[in-house]
Amino acid sequence: MNRRSIVRIAAALAFAFTVPAAFAHAQLEKATPAVGGAVTSPVEIRLKFSEGVEPRFSGIVLTVEGGAAVPLGKPSVDPADSSVLIVKVGKALPPGVYTVTWHAISVDTHSTQGDFQFTVKP
Amino acid sequence: MLSTTWRSVAHAAIGVAAALWLSPAFAHAVCGDRIFPATLGIDDPGVGDELALPTLTSQPQGSDGTREFDATFSWTKTILPGLGLSFSDGGAWLRPGGYGWQALDTELKYNFMCLAQHEFMASAGFDVSWGRTGTAAQYSPFNTYSPILDVGKGFGDLPASLNILRPLAITAEVSEAIPGQSWTDGLQNPTMLNWGFTLQYSLPYYNSHVGQIDNDFLRRLVPVTEFAFSTPIANVPSGSQITTGTIQPGIIYEGDTWQLAVEALIPINSASGRNIGAVAELHFFLDDIFPDSLGKPISKWGQP
Repeated sequence: MNRRSIVRIAAALAFAFTVPAAFAHAQLEKATPAVGGAVTSPVEIRLKFSEGVEPRFSGIVLTVEGGAAVPLGKPSVDPADSSVLIVKVGKALPPGVYTVTWHAISVDTHSTQGDFQFTVKP
Repeated sequence: MLSTTWRSVAHAAIGVAAALWLSPAFAHAVCGDRIFPATLGIDDPGVGDELALPTLTSQPQGSDGTREFDATFSWTKTILPGLGLSFSDGGAWLRPGGYGWQALDTELKYNFMCLAQHEFMASAGFDVSWGRTGTAAQYSPFNTYSPILDVGKGFGDLPASLNILRPLAITAEVSEAIPGQSWTDGLQNPTMLNWGFTLQYSLPYYNSHVGQIDNDFLRRLVPVTEFAFSTPIANVPSGSQITTGTIQPGIIYEGDTWQLAVEALIPINSASGRNIGAVAELHFFLDDIFPDSLGKPISKWGQP
């Protein structure tokens, strides 16, 4: 390897490791109720993302098996953590399988979406 | 009345401003719920602002006994949403053969399809390996032109009864590498069909769609196996009509703005190499790191 090659590679690596802290796509890290979990009727749905999200442009839809939508409150973020999206569940959920469908716009405007199921135990 | 009108105008202006400010960013290889990771042998089907630096490859020992180590980089810049231009280059060390700087490679790539509900994505590209830009053993006196098709399909649209298979995805690539001259120093330059596919099982997808993974390290892994082949299809010297390639099992770790991938390189036959090689790549998503400058398209023209 000649000296010029070493300088090129060193300069490239220096750039790579001095990039500033940044935002990214908001990926779902954890949910309450848990993804695929079985719970008693929840009073709220909390989604923890890998990045802060914009509640005005993010949303959660909850449907019961068969497709009927469950009334939910307005999305908000945890005042202490903007990466946690929260909606209140408007009524006690009868036992059954529920699907959470979410979309999130992270604070740098990247859009992500997803869905998962949880079960409400009798 | 006037104040009501002005209030309406103000609300409309705020709405437009918010819509403009929050016009969605397009990058990564994201289609519907699926984020296709950057893979090493087969290009992913997306177009984004990315930097692969470095890609370190210890090639399987050649059938003639040659050993090769490569250290390369690839930078992709989006020009328009869905349209990007990439530049790839780097050094190669051959034993025997010595060091040489590889030919500059550029690819113009356009992401022309995303069926979000089916996590299906497709891109078309045109790659040029520029002659006379390499040195020593990497020198080539002619350009090579390659039209490329990349596709990806995630299986998130499977029914809930097959939940365990929903994190699965397959990507594929096919290209035809056409040399700019048919003969060099009395030797034929064959046209090659480069083709292959990847199978990947996304634990990030599993964590967010199927079942929660509590371990932070595990839920960022994507086990992957790539299959990359090359078949001479025209202007082939007699006795050289054999497909070569590698099977590349490995793992990808997805950080928030970067990923690290490590794969083995297993030759499929003796013409592809004698023993197992390895490749590792550190990959940065510039759309996440520099969302307001280097990581966004030069123009937003055509953005929906």
